[in-house]
Amino acid sequence: MKKVLGNKKAVALFVLPALIIYAIFVMLPVLWSFYYSLYSGSPGLKWEFVGLKNYSRLLVDKNFIKALTVNLKYISVVTIGQVSLGLALALMFKFWLRRCKSFVRTLIFFPVVLPTVAVGQLFNKIYEIQPNYGLLNSFLEGIGLEQLVQPWLGQSSTALWCLCIMDIWVAMGFYSVIFYGALLNIPDDIIEAARIDGSGSWNMFRRILLPLLRPMVVTCFVFSFSGTVKMFESALALTKGGPAGSTKSLSMYMYDVSFTYGKVGYGSVIAIVIFLICIVGSFLINRFDTKD
Amino acid sequence: MSLAMATSMLASAAMAEEAETEVESEVETEYNGEFAGEDPQLEKKIKILTIWAEDNDNGILLNKICEDYKNNVNPNFDWEYEMVAADNLQQKIATLAASDDLPDFFAYEAGTPLTVLIEADKVVNISEELERIGITDYVNAGAIELMKGLSGTEDVYDLPLGLNVEGFWYNKELFEQAGCEAPETWEEFEEVLAKLYEADIQPLTTGGSDKWPATRLVNAYAVRTAGNDVMTKAANGEIDYTDEALVAAADKIAEWAEKGYFGEGITTVDANTAGSMLMSGKAAIFYNGSWFTQNLTDETQNLAGEDGIGFFNIPVVDEEISSATSYSMNCGNILCLDKGKYDDATAWFLKYYCENMGDLAMTELGSVKGYTYTVEAEDMDDYTKLVLEEIDKSTEGFAWWEAKMSSEVSKTAQENVQALLNGEMTGEEYMQSIQDAHDMSEF
Amino acid sequence: MKKKKIKAILQGIVIALICAVDVYPLLWMVSASFKQQSEWTSKPAYALNEGFHFQNYIDAWTRGHMATFFMNSLLCTLIALVFIVLFACTVGFATTKMQWKGREFVSKFFSLGIMVPVATALIPLFQIFNQLNLLNTRFCLIITYIAFGLSLSIYLVQGYLRSLPDELLEASVIDGCGIYRMMWLVVTPLMKNAIVTVLVLQFFFKWNDLLFSMTFISDSALKTVQTGLLYFQDEFGSKNWGAIFASVSMSVLPMLVLYTILNKKVMEGMTAGAVKG
Repeated sequence: MKKVLGNKKAVALFVLPALIIYAIFVMLPVLWSFYYSLYSGSPGLKWEFVGLKNYSRLLVDKNFIKALTVNLKYISVVTIGQVSLGLALALMFKFWLRRCKSFVRTLIFFPVVLPTVAVGQLFNKIYEIQPNYGLLNSFLEGIGLEQLVQPWLGQSSTALWCLCIMDIWVAMGFYSVIFYGALLNIPDDIIEAARIDGSGSWNMFRRILLPLLRPMVVTCFVFSFSGTVKMFESALALTKGGPAGSTKSLSMYMYDVSFTYGKVGYGSVIAIVIFLICIVGSFLINRFDTKD
Repeated sequence: MSLAMATSMLASAAMAEEAETEVESEVETEYNGEFAGEDPQLEKKIKILTIWAEDNDNGILLNKICEDYKNNVNPNFDWEYEMVAADNLQQKIATLAASDDLPDFFAYEAGTPLTVLIEADKVVNISEELERIGITDYVNAGAIELMKGLSGTEDVYDLPLGLNVEGFWYNKELFEQAGCEAPETWEEFEEVLAKLYEADIQPLTTGGSDKWPATRLVNAYAVRTAGNDVMTKAANGEIDYTDEALVAAADKIAEWAEKGYFGEGITTVDANTAGSMLMSGKAAIFYNGSWFTQNLTDETQNLAGEDGIGFFNIPVVDEEISSATSYSMNCGNILCLDKGKYDDATAWFLKYYCENMGDLAMTELGSVKGYTYTVEAEDMDDYTKLVLEEIDKSTEGFAWWEAKMSSEVSKTAQENVQALLNGEMTGEEYMQSIQDAHDMSEF
Repeated sequence: MKKKKIKAILQGIVIALICAVDVYPLLWMVSASFKQQSEWTSKPAYALNEGFHFQNYIDAWTRGHMATFFMNSLLCTLIALVFIVLFACTVGFATTKMQWKGREFVSKFFSLGIMVPVATALIPLFQIFNQLNLLNTRFCLIITYIAFGLSLSIYLVQGYLRSLPDELLEASVIDGCGIYRMMWLVVTPLMKNAIVTVLVLQFFFKWNDLLFSMTFISDSALKTVQTGLLYFQDEFGSKNWGAIFASVSMSVLPMLVLYTILNKKVMEGMTAGAVKG
C-alpha cells in the first residue's frame, strides 16, 4: 500500500505540470504586481522607479475612491441578493412545488448559461429610453405609470441598481440549485419532527434549516463574493462604467489606468488593492463558518 | 520555489529590455533614394493597423490604394491589413510601441497621444519625408498647419485622413415649422432654441453616451467667449480649468439640459442615434463634423432628403474674441508611419499614396481627406459641396475640447460631461473635476 | 382543507411569476430578433413580432462574424476544460491520498489561488505575453484559463476525495493495481460527480471571461463570443435593434441547447452535494 501510494515518480507526474503552470501564471504575476507598483509609466515607455509614490497617490485620487465605493456597494447588494434569493427559491422548490420540479429548476437555471455580454445587451434594450422606449419603459407607459418612465441607465441614481438587478437575475438560479441540493441532504424526519412539534415555517427555517445549511450559505457567499469582487464583465456590457463613472468598478478603473493612461505602476497598486479586498472579504466570511 | 522563479524571470525580462535599447541605438536608417524617376519595384510587405473594417470608410481607401499600387506600379508590393476596435487603439499602439513592434502604417489620434510617440522618437518625421520625396504639394497645406498645431511641433509626424469642419447641422423643415432661421450670433442661437422648444420640437440632440459630441458643445461656447486658444492655455497652465469662462461654458450646457432642450435620457443616446434623430425630424439641431455627410448622402438613412439638412458654424459671441470664420477643425484619425520599419520601399509607396489619395477619396467616398484632388466639383453631391464651401470660408481653426488633454484628463472630461447633462454636477464642479484630474496626472 | 388549497394556489402563482421573470426576457429577445426596424417605432416594445424578418440573422451572421467567435470560444474553453479536469484530479488525488513530503504545503499553495482575483494578475500577464510575443494567440488565453481554473477545481476535488474510504484503495492494491491503473480505473470513475461539478463551474467561468480575452486578443479573427458581442453595437449602430437581438439570440441558443441536453447531468452533479463547504 505505502509503496504504491508513495510512488515519487507518480507524484511528480501528477503534481508538477499543474504546479508549474499555476506558479508561473497565477502566483508569479501577483508577486510581479508588487514589483511593478514601485514604478511609474509603462515598461518600455518612461519606466522609472518611484518607490511608494504610487501608494500615496491612492489616498488623494478621487476617481479611485469613487470606484472603490461603487465596487463595495455592488459587492454587498449583489452577494446578499444572489444568496438570499437563491435560498428563497430553493425553499420554494422544496416545500411549495409539487409538480414539474425539474422543469421549473431547469427554467430558473437558464440565465446562468448565457454569455454575460449577451445579457448585458439584452438588459440594455430592456432599460432603453431613446430613440424608442425599451421593454421596461414601454411597459410602464402601457399600464399608465408614465411618471415612472426614466432613463434607467442614463442617470447615476439608478444605473448601479439596474446593474445589480441584472446580476442577481443572472445568478440566483445557480445558487438556488446548490441550496436545493443541500436541502435534499437534510433527512426528512428532522423536518417532520419539527412539524409535529408545531413550529411555524419561519421558526423551522431559523431554528432547524438555517443552522444545517450554514456551511452551504458560507460557501455560496464565498462564490458570490469572489464573483462580484472583480465586477467587470457585466458592468462593461451594460453601461461601460457610465454615466459619469457611477458604475465603474476597481477592475475597470485599473484597466483604464494601466492600458489607456499607460500608468502600469499605478494600475498595479489598484490591482493589489483588489487583492487585499479579496483576502479581507474571504477572511470575514470564513469567520462565520468557524464560530462554533 | 515560486520566488526563485520570479526573480529569475524578472532578471531575464530586464536583460531583454537592455538588449532592446542596444539594438535601437544601432539602427540608423540611411536614406539615399532618388524619387524622381520610375518606381524601382522594391520588394516589400507592409502592415497596416487601423480602426476601420475593410468595407468601411478609410478601410476601403487604404485597401484600394494598396491594391492599385500593387496592380499598377509595384507587383512586388504586398500588404497586411489589421483592424482593432477604436476603444482598443491606444492600448494596442502603446504596447506595440513599448516592444518596438509598431506596424508600418497605423491609424492614431492627433493631440496628446501622438505627442507621446513623437517624444519617444517612434514615428517618421513626415515633413522631412515629403520634402525629400518631393511630394509636399500633394498634402493640403491647411491640414499640415492643423496637425502641427495639434502636436505642437515644427514638423508634422502624421498624415491626415480627413479635413473636417465641425458645426451645427439642422433640420430645415423643423426650422420652418417653428419659424426660425440659421443663427449667426449666440443670442440668435438661444432664441432659436427657445422658439423650437415652444413649438414642441426637441431643439437639440447629441451623442451623450459617446460623450465626445457633448463635450464639443461645451467647447463651442468656451471658444466663442474666451478665444480660440483657450483650451491650449488651460493645458499649458496659463489659466486654470476652473476659469470663469470655462465654468460659464459648462454651465451653459447644463442649463440647456435643465430646460429640457436635449429630450429624455440624453446620456444614453449615441452619436449614430442622434444623427438619425436629426434626419428623421425627431430633433432639430445636432452638432457634428463634416464626416456626417457620409450619412447625409445615404438615401436610406437620410429621411430629410437631399436638401433637408443645413449647416451653420458655431454662432459668434464677440467677433473680436473668436471670429465667425474660425471653425472647429480636425484631420480625423491620423495615419502614422513607424520609424524603425521605414525604408525606401515604404517611401515609394508613400509617394504613390500621397499622389493618389485625394482623387481616390473623392471618387470612392466623395469626401475630402486632406490631399490634393483633381476631380471636378460638379460630380459632387450637394452636401459635400456644402462642406467644401465652409472649409473655403475658414480663416482660422481651433481644436476640440480634449485635444490638448492627456488621456487621463480627457477621460474625466468625457465621463463627467454625462453628470453635467444629468444635472448631477454644476459647471463649476465639472471644471473642478477636470482640474483635479489635470493635477493628478502630474502627480 | 379549503385554506390549504388556496395556499397551494397562491404558492403556484408565486412560482409561476418567478418563472415568468426568468424566462420572459429571453422570449422577448427571440421575438424582438425577428422584428423589422419599423415595428420598433410603430408599436410598443412589448408587442410580439409581426412576421419573421430573417434578414436580421443574415446580417448578424455575415457582418457580425458570429461563426468565428463561436469557434474561438469553444476551442479555448474546451481545451482549457480538459486540462483543468485532468490536473484537478491528479493533483487532488496526490495531495489527499498519496504519501509524500510537502503535500500539505503544496495543497496550501494551491488553495491560496482561490483568493487571487483575475484583475491582480492581469497587468503582469499582459507584459509576459507581450515579451514572449504571445499576444493575439489562442495559446495565451488557454494557458491562463487553465492556470486560473486550477485552485478552485482542486479544492473541490479534494473535498470529495477526503470522504472516499481508504479501504477501496487498499482493496485495489491487493488486487495488484499499480498507481496509474488505480487512478484511472478506480478513482476516476468514483469522482464522476465531482468532475461534473468542476466542468460545469469552470465552463461558465471560462465561457463568460471577458477581461482576459479583451486584453490579450485584438485580432478579430481570434475574438471570442464575449469580446465579439461587446463591439457589435459599434458595428451596427445602436439603432439596428433587430440585428443586435439576432446576434444575441444566436449566442444564447447553442448554450441553451447544450444545457438542455446536459441538464440532467448538471443538476445531478450540482445537487449531489459535490459542492461542499
